[in-house]
Amino acid sequence: MQDAVGKFVLLVPAFAGSALIILILTFLWYEATPIFLAPQGGPSIVIQPIWDPNRDLYGIALFILGSFICTFLAIAMAVPLGIGAAVFLSEFCPPRIRTSLRMIVEMMAAIPSIVYGLWAYIVMVPWIKNSFAPAVQSNPLTAWMPWFQGSTNGLSVLAGGTILAIMLLPTVVAVSDDALRSVPSSYREASLALGATKTETAVKIVVSAAIPGIGAAIVLSLGRAVGETMAVLMVTGNSLQIPFTLLDPAYVMTSIITNQLGYAFVFPLWRSALFAVAFVLLMMSVSFTVIAKWFVKWGMKTRGLV
Amino acid sequence: MSSDSCATSGTANETASSAPEPEIGPTRRSLLWLKSQLLVKTRREAKDLLLKILFAITTLIVILPFFLIVIQLAVTGLSGLTLDLFTTFPGASLTGGIRNAIVGTILLVLVAGGVGIPLSVLGAVYISEYSPPGRIRSTVEFASDVLAGIPSIVFGAFGFAFIVVFLNVGMGLVSGGLTLAFMMMPTVLRTTQEALRQVPVSLREASFALGATKWTTTWRVTIRAAFPGIVTGVLLAIGRVMGETAPLIFTSGNSLTTPTSILGPASWVASLPFTIWAYVSDPRPYLQVKAQSTALALLVMVLAVDVVANYISRKVTRRLV
Repeated sequence: MQDAVGKFVLLVPAFAGSALIILILTFLWYEATPIFLAPQGGPSIVIQPIWDPNRDLYGIALFILGSFICTFLAIAMAVPLGIGAAVFLSEFCPPRIRTSLRMIVEMMAAIPSIVYGLWAYIVMVPWIKNSFAPAVQSNPLTAWMPWFQGSTNGLSVLAGGTILAIMLLPTVVAVSDDALRSVPSSYREASLALGATKTETAVKIVVSAAIPGIGAAIVLSLGRAVGETMAVLMVTGNSLQIPFTLLDPAYVMTSIITNQLGYAFVFPLWRSALFAVAFVLLMMSVSFTVIAKWFVKWGMKTRGLV
Repeated sequence: MSSDSCATSGTANETASSAPEPEIGPTRRSLLWLKSQLLVKTRREAKDLLLKILFAITTLIVILPFFLIVIQLAVTGLSGLTLDLFTTFPGASLTGGIRNAIVGTILLVLVAGGVGIPLSVLGAVYISEYSPPGRIRSTVEFASDVLAGIPSIVFGAFGFAFIVVFLNVGMGLVSGGLTLAFMMMPTVLRTTQEALRQVPVSLREASFALGATKWTTTWRVTIRAAFPGIVTGVLLAIGRVMGETAPLIFTSGNSLTTPTSILGPASWVASLPFTIWAYVSDPRPYLQVKAQSTALALLVMVLAVDVVANYISRKVTRRLV
């Protein structure tokens, strides 16, 4: 009797998470519908680049583009570094150093994003403005490069991408390290017995056996990069323009919501357009999670690890 | 290379078994190890060594930002980290302390924990103790993974539109705390589930054999055995939501004192991350410095929670293994 009641009572919290997701989905959709149905908006706002609520122009493509550029930069920096560090941690590192390095990586994951943002705003942005940009623009080796053109005040795509990369690194390192360590040691022994060196074994055998886990790490960090708010908001400059070079400012999806939701709340269409941005963000994060899970499942199956 | 190291280790073992070797100090041992690593005969070995060094340098680059951040905050922020900062409320033109933010963060975490922890722990108990592996379990797991991936600003926008406006709760402690509770749920649920999974089946069977019901077994035996693991998950989740800014911007409001009521404008509440953001957006230079002191305080609090959580989890895994 008590068991049956208990089971029934526990059913409610068990599905609280699912209920919450459905609630978030329906509510964001409900808030975003007006702009999708209005003559000024419509579904084509996703590809229109001009955002000017005063003239009833609600194109959100600029923010999607800004998010993509920052995310791409961050992934391009974080993934090679993160996988390299994970290979070192799991294959070459003496166990005693490994414990403390893992602890530092876990602490990096725990640092709040506002603290990263503060640091980037105080240290990195002035550094880009005063040291990095003059250096690359006066050096004849790099001055011709189209991605280093233009004057900058430091608030740039580059700053946003770099701080994002730093924030993604702990995730990439931790998840890849776990994936590498779950590769059976018999694989390594077989490779070493055939005469391969330790790095050959690590790069060609262990990494390729751990590809599903590493892929999941990359996709998960994609989701985090697109959704990261405070740090990016503080360093990307929030200017309504298309970033053509690394030193141009940009406006990302999370920033426009944070900056304007407060004012926009009394204007139905404006508010609805911001919720459309939130809805796009939500869809992206959900699909990244699904892809990551699917990737792990596929990899486990093809590698017979299940 | 590998065959060499095998051979040397083999002879080392033989000599060790035949005659006791003189003690080698740790410095000398690491020097010997370094020498064996740097011994290069062929091109392949040189490549091996180079790649190893490259991987080590990569690791150093990865952990470098952690030290840069801590040093920067310590150098600029430490001078402002006085007792006054924690014990006084902000005064005219934001001089004074940040007691409002510290009390506010604690209150928000209490509300979030009070709602989020029971929900997610009970949910985890249901899927790992009461439901067979299959559709229900994978649905709940999938839901919490999706929830964990949702950006914090989306939680903020949802909290604002749903709790503040649609349910007409208004900004303040309740709305902010509930929004944070939503963000806590996936972490606590997954870690609790993992902790329950690590409890040996024999414990449950012994309890059943004594005639206990499933309910009694779950509450008196399984949860008790999994308790340290659950605490770890709760601490990790608390550490995560303590530093969240984006969900609070539209839900908790801001205030220069502590909240005096549960609902309404008197319940508006400040928090540490929001205070950092407000101070750093302010052009006055002394507020920039105070933002760094506040960030240092927040960083120390979050890292302390994290270290305690890791300590508990390491101790527990060692005991179980």
